[in-house]
Amino acid sequence: MVLLNVDGVECRYGSATVLEDVSLSVKEGDFVGIIGPNGSGKTTLLKSISRVLKPHKGTILLDKDDIYSLTGSEVAKQLAVVPQDSVIGFSFLALDVVLMGRNPHMSRFQMESTKDLSIARRVMELTNTWHLAERPINELSGGERQRVIIARALAQEPKVLLLDEPMTHLDIINQLEIMDLVKDLCSKQGLIVLAVFHDLNMAARYCNLCVLLKSGKVFSTGRLDDVLTSDNIKTVFRVDAIVQRHLVTNSLYVIPMSRLKSPPVKKCSIHLICGAGTGTALMKILLEEGYTVTAGVLNVLDTDFETAEFLKIPVTTEAPFSPITEAAHKANMDMIAKASMVVVTSVPFGHGNIQNLEAARQALEKKIPTFVIDEVPIEKRDFTQGKATELLVELKLKGASFVKNSNELLSKLSVSEDRLKLLQESSKKLFEHLKS
Amino acid sequence: MSKNDVETAYFRRTSRWKLLLVLLIVALVITVILSLNVGYAQIPFANILAIMSKQIPFLSGTVDPSLVLPMESAIILQIRLPRIIAGVVVGAALASSGVVYQGVFKNPMADSYVLGVSAGAAVGASFSILFGLGSVVFGLSLTQVAAFLGAVSAMFLVYNISRVGSRVPVTTLLLCGIAVNFFLFAVVGLMEVIAGDELHAIVFWLVGGFSNVLWRDIWAILPFVVVGIIAVYIYARDLNLMALGEETAQNLGVNIERSKLVLLVLASLITGAAVSVSGLIGFVGLMIPHLTRLVIGPDHRILLPASTITGAIFLVVCDDIARVVATPFASTLELPVGIITMLAGAPFFIMLFRRKKQSYAL
Repeated sequence: MVLLNVDGVECRYGSATVLEDVSLSVKEGDFVGIIGPNGSGKTTLLKSISRVLKPHKGTILLDKDDIYSLTGSEVAKQLAVVPQDSVIGFSFLALDVVLMGRNPHMSRFQMESTKDLSIARRVMELTNTWHLAERPINELSGGERQRVIIARALAQEPKVLLLDEPMTHLDIINQLEIMDLVKDLCSKQGLIVLAVFHDLNMAARYCNLCVLLKSGKVFSTGRLDDVLTSDNIKTVFRVDAIVQRHLVTNSLYVIPMSRLKSPPVKKCSIHLICGAGTGTALMKILLEEGYTVTAGVLNVLDTDFETAEFLKIPVTTEAPFSPITEAAHKANMDMIAKASMVVVTSVPFGHGNIQNLEAARQALEKKIPTFVIDEVPIEKRDFTQGKATELLVELKLKGASFVKNSNELLSKLSVSEDRLKLLQESSKKLFEHLKS
Repeated sequence: MSKNDVETAYFRRTSRWKLLLVLLIVALVITVILSLNVGYAQIPFANILAIMSKQIPFLSGTVDPSLVLPMESAIILQIRLPRIIAGVVVGAALASSGVVYQGVFKNPMADSYVLGVSAGAAVGASFSILFGLGSVVFGLSLTQVAAFLGAVSAMFLVYNISRVGSRVPVTTLLLCGIAVNFFLFAVVGLMEVIAGDELHAIVFWLVGGFSNVLWRDIWAILPFVVVGIIAVYIYARDLNLMALGEETAQNLGVNIERSKLVLLVLASLITGAAVSVSGLIGFVGLMIPHLTRLVIGPDHRILLPASTITGAIFLVVCDDIARVVATPFASTLELPVGIITMLAGAPFFIMLFRRKKQSYAL
């Protein structure tokens, strides 16, 4: 059983510590993804494992040998590296480059033997590059060149393969071909693979183990499912992301939602009357602008309801596919009473949700400023034989402001927010004045 | 193309390398013999062959003594031959060290100027010409010794300035080398300004030539050049791997810092030895490796020996031209070979490069 043991490794560039107390243990057939933001020490970790950058502290054992006590060739017989990008100084033929992988197995005065050549041929056939054997490496496309470089690494007949973002310049088919090949070698021949990934989804697709680095330290390590979580991504990358298991590929996938921003200045609260996905984008925008957002009434399982759940927005709900009941409407009105503004989206109105327009009307009566986004003409989304249209006209008469889209809404919101603040301040002053 | 074809082609290439080397050696021998014929004094070719054969133990008995005249013998053996052999040795030295510099720096434009080696030699030579002309130590001219020491110390200076911790990154080496190079040539310029009567000697040394070469000079540098080239050849595969980048070379088992140091020291010793005899001869170290690479590809296991021999042939031929080109005008005038190498070599190189562009295949 081949084992790679990294124990308490600390690396420094000058006085800057770039890796601190990193430990991991990998065994035959493991495919380890190393992930983390830029500058978290991923490449440094690979460099120290590949015997390029000697750590200041800690040991790296390959089987039972400290790799820094072995010679370069001894390590190269067992461990191969595929760098991020290969600029090759002179126009060597692809076959020459692959044969260079045989270097650790040859003595200084030896020429390549038929055995070396047949190994080169086998790995080039594996990486689908044998037909390129006699082409100068610098004339190959990025994908072809990277496949040749991988063939070179495999020609070393390694037990451990280190990949440093091997797919930075590759298109999607090349990425899949190469990673499928590596995965195959890993699971069938027990190759240990350690790969630095920037693309979390690629990591999720191929790794079984994962190391998440944050500013030079291991933030989390273990099985992919335990490491690649929404919470970990939020803490380490400062990105809100959804992590789910894909129904078709059955691997985890990560969808980044938005950057975590420093909490914006608290603005007033807005109640959204929406549904059928018309409020989804707006919820996120308003939250990012710093407003407190509530919504309702929404049917459970409605797209907007799911978004609200995800964004942790308070909602008054109604059972799925059911008209809004009086109780729900009342709850909604209570929520509206606490909001400083109401926004009605271009949601279609039917008998099930017409009650929400009624709520908007009542809000106006309570002098709560109300905005109507009139993006889709009401004729196209009125399924109540004109009742909704009537109500909308009434809203306009009662002083609701109509806007064309969310951009216009945002500018009007900030104006009325200023006015609101002014009003609050002056009434406060008036109050104090009266008190004195 | 069938799979076996590629393999057969690969092994055929190796045997083609050997053939190429044999042909180059034959070409070199022929060049040397024909070059003996070149010079101001008209000596029949048969006499030249006789004089040469006389020197070879097995053949000396068969030589017709009437063809070996003492005067001609002296011209051939004491003037022409040392000069030609110096051309062979210096040409081989410059070309092989050029291969090393280009390989280590992964840059086809690198040569002995890059590490300040040539500039160091120039400072050493100018200094000795200015202050100690004619002195002889241990049977060697002081200029030669000073040039050699200058070359080697410049290289060590650059190497040590470039050191970052335990590593010597190639880019730093290149930049420090260029800086030191400029500095040292400024020093040479300064010496030229104050040189007065010695100015001609300095300028002549800086352009490079073989006009006053003695056997003594050749024996002094031969060990450096021969041992140096053989030692460099041991590192030929390391040079190949360096083309993949230093880290990759390291990952493939090359002890990169050691190889780099050994190669640069060897190349600088070879260059320093060569220029101590010839002065600065441009173009050979830069273009011969490049030119050879265009024809036979970048593998240093063939590139190194092939460039070495090509460099030798090239310099001998250039020196032949230097000897005869000015004779019609004045019998004693001859051009420094450094001018010929550049005048003849550069257009030839441009022509070849334009025709071949980037395809380096064998």
